[in-house]
Amino acid sequence: MSGETGIYILMAVVSLISTLAVYMAVVEKDLVKAVIYSALQSGLYTILYFLLLAPDIGLVYIPVAVGLIPGVLLILISKTERWEKE
Amino acid sequence: MISVLETPIILRVIGSALLCLGAFAALVSAIGFHRFKNFYLRLHAATIGSIWGSVYPLVGSAILAITVEELGVYRWFVAGASIVAAFIVLILAPAGSHALARGVHKAKVARVKPCIADKLDPELCG
Amino acid sequence: MLMELILIVMFIYAIAILLLSIIALKGPTIGDQVLAIDVLTYISLVLFTLLSIYLKQPLLIVLVIPLALWVYSLDIYIAKYLEHGDLGA
Repeated sequence: MSGETGIYILMAVVSLISTLAVYMAVVEKDLVKAVIYSALQSGLYTILYFLLLAPDIGLVYIPVAVGLIPGVLLILISKTERWEKE
Repeated sequence: MISVLETPIILRVIGSALLCLGAFAALVSAIGFHRFKNFYLRLHAATIGSIWGSVYPLVGSAILAITVEELGVYRWFVAGASIVAAFIVLILAPAGSHALARGVHKAKVARVKPCIADKLDPELCG
Repeated sequence: MLMELILIVMFIYAIAILLLSIIALKGPTIGDQVLAIDVLTYISLVLFTLLSIYLKQPLLIVLVIPLALWVYSLDIYIAKYLEHGDLGA
């Protein structure tokens, strides 16, 4: 098995795990856990952007999706409600 | 001084030894997250994964990247960025997990399940 | 010889990332989910450095330093939210 096949297999596995994380973020009723699932999906997406040989897109994606979006969403959750009702 | 660096055997052995240590520590840390029983014990596994699994291998790959001649003059850039990243992880990772443990204990989110005594807050003792 | 060793070490790191993301998806409390994301990110830094040496592209190393800096702020957001109830804004 050469190195190219290994990189394609890693890309496939990381994509599947990030899809599962997005599904659990949509279904979850506790909104703080949904923010954490969203941050996990963003971390796995930076691995994908690296494997596709695009470091400048990943460099812009990291401060927005890991650094600012969870902060703004947590301020929003602390001022409204935490548990999503029916 | 430069004539000593022309034989890359010693630098490659040191770099490869640090990388193998880091791979073993990362695997042990990932298995340890499953085997520990509550949150406060998992902090030990997180420390093994952060420091032995990420600081030492970054220094090792910096030493290893100096000997790879196909990268041209950029091998010094790769080594410099790796050492800067190792220093940043060494300072930030323990501070982050300490703040997280303090927040979790104050908010009573995680209980101490096989517990003998918890003097800070005795009602958390499972 | 060197490239085969780097390939084996990258494979072991990929297995560690897979095992840690199982805890991040199903972990019993919020605290160990955030801890697993933290350790997963610091371990993937080594994967990025080794891949940059293996693929002979030295400009890929630039992604490593901001990732190490910004994942620390996620810890601080969750810690401040759990301790005070709001983020002080």
